[in-house]
This record gives sequence, structure tokens and C-alpha cells, in this order.
Amino acid sequence: MTSIGTGYDLANSIFSPDGRNFQVEYAVKAVENGGTAIGIRCKDGVVLAVEKIITSKLLKPGANKRIATVDRHLGVAYSGMVPDGRHFVDRARDEARAWRDTFKTPISTADLASRMGGYMQAYTLYQSVRPFGITAIVGGFDSREEAPVDGEVGSGPSCGAGGKVSSKTHGGPFLYMIEPSGLYWGYYGAATGKGRQAAKAELEKLDLSGAEGGITLEQAVKEAARIIYVAHDDSKDKEFELEMTWISGADGPTKGLHQEVPKALREEAERLAKKALESDDEDEGTEEKKGEEKMEE
Amino acid sequence: MEFGNSGSLSEDGIHLDMDRLKKGEVNLGTSIMAVTFKDGVILGADSRTTTGAYIANRVTDKLTQVHDTIWCCRSGSAADTQAVADIVQYQLGLFATMNGKPPTTQTAAAIFQEICYANKDRLTAGLIIAGWDERHGGQVYSIPLGGSLHKQPYAIGGSGSTYIYGFCDAHWKEGMEEAEAVEFVKGALKEAIKWDGSSGGVIRMVVLTAKGADRHLYLPDTDYKVRHT
Amino acid sequence: MDHRPQAWGRPRDDIYGAYDASYLQTSGPKTATQSPVVTGTSVIAIKFKDGIVMAADNLASYGSLARFTDVKRLRTFLDTSVVGFGGDVSDMQFLDRHLKELAIDEAYEHNDDQQQQDDDDSHHKSTPGTALNAANLHKYLQKLMYRRRNDFDPLWNQILVGGLDAARKPFLASVDLRGTAFTSPSLATGFGAALAQPIMRRYAATDEDAARLTREQAVDVVKECMKVLFYRDARSLDRYSIAVVTKDGVELSEDEQLERQSWAFAERIRGYGTQTV
Repeated sequence: MTSIGTGYDLANSIFSPDGRNFQVEYAVKAVENGGTAIGIRCKDGVVLAVEKIITSKLLKPGANKRIATVDRHLGVAYSGMVPDGRHFVDRARDEARAWRDTFKTPISTADLASRMGGYMQAYTLYQSVRPFGITAIVGGFDSREEAPVDGEVGSGPSCGAGGKVSSKTHGGPFLYMIEPSGLYWGYYGAATGKGRQAAKAELEKLDLSGAEGGITLEQAVKEAARIIYVAHDDSKDKEFELEMTWISGADGPTKGLHQEVPKALREEAERLAKKALESDDEDEGTEEKKGEEKMEE
Repeated sequence: MEFGNSGSLSEDGIHLDMDRLKKGEVNLGTSIMAVTFKDGVILGADSRTTTGAYIANRVTDKLTQVHDTIWCCRSGSAADTQAVADIVQYQLGLFATMNGKPPTTQTAAAIFQEICYANKDRLTAGLIIAGWDERHGGQVYSIPLGGSLHKQPYAIGGSGSTYIYGFCDAHWKEGMEEAEAVEFVKGALKEAIKWDGSSGGVIRMVVLTAKGADRHLYLPDTDYKVRHT
Repeated sequence: MDHRPQAWGRPRDDIYGAYDASYLQTSGPKTATQSPVVTGTSVIAIKFKDGIVMAADNLASYGSLARFTDVKRLRTFLDTSVVGFGGDVSDMQFLDRHLKELAIDEAYEHNDDQQQQDDDDSHHKSTPGTALNAANLHKYLQKLMYRRRNDFDPLWNQILVGGLDAARKPFLASVDLRGTAFTSPSLATGFGAALAQPIMRRYAATDEDAARLTREQAVDVVKECMKVLFYRDARSLDRYSIAVVTKDGVELSEDEQLERQSWAFAERIRGYGTQTV
């Protein structure tokens, strides 16, 4: 970070003469101190992973989850101030529920991201509030199959509905990242928090185009674990827990639901991650760490 | 309210719709239907509106657009169904501008159903929702009196429909060509008009496909043989 | 002619007699109470050794009109319980949506725990004290139904809830539009209470009897009852749904056809008394 606010950082509603909102920039600082969170969108699903720093040995292992379920097909991971993240999740659940109540169908990942982006942005406008101290990664799988109206009974013709435009596909995996300013984009791979630079560098090496030949959901789980381990900085934080969730389509392992990655698979991914780190360490002399500083602004 | 207070269902259940009308209310005595076919859906209706035995309007249009290719057939109280259709039309217009994409037939059915269900004790509305959209093709939903939602290959409604359950069941085929489906709808409505005193006048249809909405009109003085629009 | 606004839109007194204005009365209790329009008939269920079997036909009637013949009246909850609905279909759909939202709420809190337990013991989907089991769900529905009846706006249904309780024993109970709840080794709503319940009681009068029934026996009894109901209930259909709930989850089949019906004896029936040809 560059300068101090010199009076222009006292409230959200005040711009600096060079057009900056310092409160938002300070919020970004809060995120930069949070445990790394990443999301990977691949051809058959989405993986969310966080590096949960263990701040005390007195905390129960596995408790205080940092990735939340928002609707059956939607999950949110975040980095930064945990209470802000909790509130973000509450609001996301309300939005998803309100959509369901009105339209009797699940909200799409894009629509949720749009609404939450709007919500975060509103916290950059007023004197009386401060921006969210989090960057949130929203992952979801919008059904590729036709969804009924919630509660409907009966069915159309057994030969299927006529007149569909068959050239178009619908639904699929989606990933969005929303920053404290309210800015949000769709991503193939997203990273935020402490280790984001290293994580982004690793994400860029993956084939996430979504096309055939791109990595699969299972590979993405292993890559996500490895990236969190790579991004973890032993010298600053001793211990962390890897928390991972995934969402596949109806024909995949989670049947369209946002769920925690099964323990066995997660442990396997962690084992591979540790192994990869060890072999990296051995090669340290030949291959220097790439991309570490490249992304810095 | 004139719904009676016995709390029990009229045993002659087929005339439930008419028992529900408030006194003096304009009734869409009505035969309405919607069918899926190979390229989309077709809605059809007679054109008679009655107050008791008097025909208040003999050229009624009971096929109402709520979005580009989402329409509904109205039966029951004319006032109630017009009010509901107006609300849904507004909501779908809002949906399209807010989300930058057209609503689906499901969206329309969900909004219709919530209104009919939440106000079931105040409304006399028997609706058939039919629409075409890119993702789902042609679909038909029926919302009868209590506000339940039924997805169907084809739906019939109104007082005249009770006379054509047999006809429709016997002649219905899935995945018909457009011309064949038009004849099916016309044949069914002709029977309904013939046997139901509360149905009559012209036969109106709307064909919804990828090409948009296309209106048909058939008149009794040409024995419904000639298409007039 | 009476041109007062009070007389607008009303039949003329001189022709039709004095207008009965009693229905315009605004005092008195609020009557939101509705009567059902589109209705489903019986739901039946019986416990057996490892769980419960439940069945309901696929008909939604409109008065005496068999209007909708593909209405599935058994709904699963969290893949651990099944809920069967008799009565008004629009209220069934309301409850179905409500239960779906309840299941999403459950996923907020229990997704992680449950996953953990899945790994520890792959056979036990929900473990006591975590996700809602059938007994919890039944209690919840009872409170919901009773509250709605106190609002004079009842949900016009009779409901059976089947699954496992906290002790992972078979659980079966009913609740109706007044919030009245029962539990029994076998249960039936609507016509089934008169026609199917006596048959099911022959096989499972007590929980001990039910605990001796195999899954196959229980399914057979239920199918036999569905046949009797089709013979004698004028609002029934020969296509039905059947669900079996055990600790392994819910197996739901929604397009069963009644088999081995007995009609051939009609040939021996001639006239209505003395006639023989």
C-alpha cells in the first residue's frame, strides 16, 4: 500500500482528490491478512478451498467452518474478517431463499453473485457503514437438466417437449469472486487472502478452459489442496486446516449439491500435496519460485 | 361470499367452477385448452362470455399474452382472471428487464400459482399457462381452482371441457405436426361448443414456437373450416 | 326502480323480494377456512422389521372427476424420511416447498457433520442428534398443522410420516388438518382408514408383530390394500407410488400398476336375485 489517507480516509462517503476510496482500500488490506481461499472451475464442477489458520490449540479440529452452503447448489468461501463473512453468508442465504420463494426455482450462480455484488457495493457508499472486510468466492453448479417449478406435480409429454433450441446448452459450473468494493467477475480460477499471489500463479498453470482435455473435478480437488499447501507460509503461521468443498453436476459425485469433499479424498489430496511440496523443496536449487512477485501491483 | 358454508365439496364436482361465482358476476362459461406439439404449444378457446343465460360478449378473447411467447387461457371470473393476468404480465416484464433474459414458462407458472394459491378464497380463476422458450420448448401448465400447479402434455379447462375429456383422451397424440395439432384443438373445441351451453362463438388459437406467436381465427358461419387470420 | 347506490348490482326487490344482506356482515369471526378442490385420496403405510412401507395412488380428483392421473403424493425428505399426503393438492404443494426449504436449512448446519459421519459409517446417513429424523419431522409438521388450524386457515391434508426415529427404530405417524397426531404400527388416511387399516392390523397389530414382518411381507400387504382400495374407493386409481424406508435411505417407485386383480367372477353374476340367464 502506498500512501496514508490524510483526512480522506475517515469515511466511506468521502473520495480523495485523486479519486480513491481509502476505506475500501483498507478493507482490501484486511482481506490480504486472511487465510488463503481459492476456487477452481473445471469442466464438471467447482472446488472451493480455504487455508484455515489455527489460532489456538484450544479450538476443536474441524469446527468453525469457513466455507458455507447457501443453497443446495451454491457454496461460498471467503477470506478476511470472519464475522463479516458470516454476515455475507446470511445475506446470501436470504437472497437465495427470496428468489426461491418468488420464482420457485433455484437462483443461478450469476444472479446470486450479482445480488451479493450489489450488496457489498452498497457498503461503500454511506457514512454510517464500513465496507466488508472480506473477499468472497461464490461457486455453484446451475442445473444442466430442466428444473421443475418447486412443488409442481405431473409431467409433460413422454416424448419430451417440442421446439427446444438444441444448439444451446444451459447451466453448468460457475465461479465468481466479489471484492470489498463490490466489484465482481466470473473466473476460471480465483484466489484471495494471504497466499493469493502464489495461488494465482499456480492456478494459471492449470487447464481450466472448461473444454475437453481440461482438468476434471477430482484433479481439481487435488490441485486445490496442493495450491493451498503451496500458498501456505510456514514461517508466518505454523498450523492450518485445509477445508474443501465441491459441487458437481447431477451426474457427478455430489449430484448437483454443494458438499464437503469426503474425508478420504481430502486426506488423499493432502498426502499428494505434501509429497509435491517435498519434491519441490528438493528441486529448489534448479527451479526458482515462479510468479511470486509478478502479480504485485 | 356465496361459496356456501357447508365446507363440503359439491358432489357434482364437474360444475365446481360455476358454483364459485359471485352473484351477477360475468362468467367465462368457457372451453379452453392448450396442447404441446412438435415445435411448441397451441392455445385454443371459444369466445362466449355469459351472465347467467345472457351472452355478455360473443367475440371474447380468452387467450391473453403475459410475455412474448408465454400466454394463458382464462376461465372462471373475467374480472379475477384479467386482474391476475395483468399482475403476471407486469412481473414478467420486470423480470425480463431486471435479468436481461426472457422469463421461462416455469417462471410464469410459478408467479401465477402463487397468486392463485395465496388468494384462493377470493378468486374464481381456472387458468392454463402455455409458453415456449429456448431451453424448455413448448410447455403446458394447468392451475385449477384451489391454486395447485400441474404440468401436463395438454390441458383442458372451463365448463365445456367436461364434455370433451373422452374426445381428447381418444384423439390425443404426442409430438404432432402443427397442422395436425390445430385440427385436434379445433375438433375438441367444436365438440365443447356443441354440447356446452356456456361455450360458443368463434374459435381462437395462438401457436407459440421459435418463430413467435401466431394467431388463428375460425368462424361458425364457415363451420370453423376457414382460417380467417 | 330503486336508483340508490346501495341497490346497485343487486336484484330488484319488487321482483326478487328483499335482498339478503346477511353475507355482507363484517363482524363475527374471520373465516379463512377453505374447502379442498383438487384432492388426493388415501395414503397407507405399515412398519416392518427394518423400516416402513408407504403407498398412495397417483390420482388428483376434481370433485368426482378423475382430473389429474399423474400426481405423485409421496415426497422424500433428506433421503431419510417419506411424507405421504392425502387431501388438497395445492396445500400438499405448499408443504412440499416448505419441506424443501427446511431441507436446505438443514444443509446449512448439518452438511459438514453428516459428511463426516458418512465417512465414519457409510451405512448411517443421519446419526441421532444431527439431521432431522422422521420423528422430528412429524413433530414439526404437527406443530405447523395445529398452528394453521388455530389461524382458522388449515392446510387441508391428512399426512403420514415414515422413516426412522432417534433410536433408528422404524417410525410411522400421522397428522391431520387439525394438528391431531397418531402413531401406530400401521396407519391409513381417508378411505384407507376404513378399508386398509383392518387388513394391515391382521399383520401388524402391535409393534412386536411389525418387528417380525419382513420387507417383502410388508410390501405385499400394502399392495394388497391398494388393490382393495381400488376396488372400493370411487376416488382411486390403479396407478400408484410406493416407498420403502430403511436405514439405507428411501426407495421410491412412482409408477406402479396394480397387478393380479380379480374381476372374472363377474361372469357368474346374473341379474340381482332369481334371474339365472
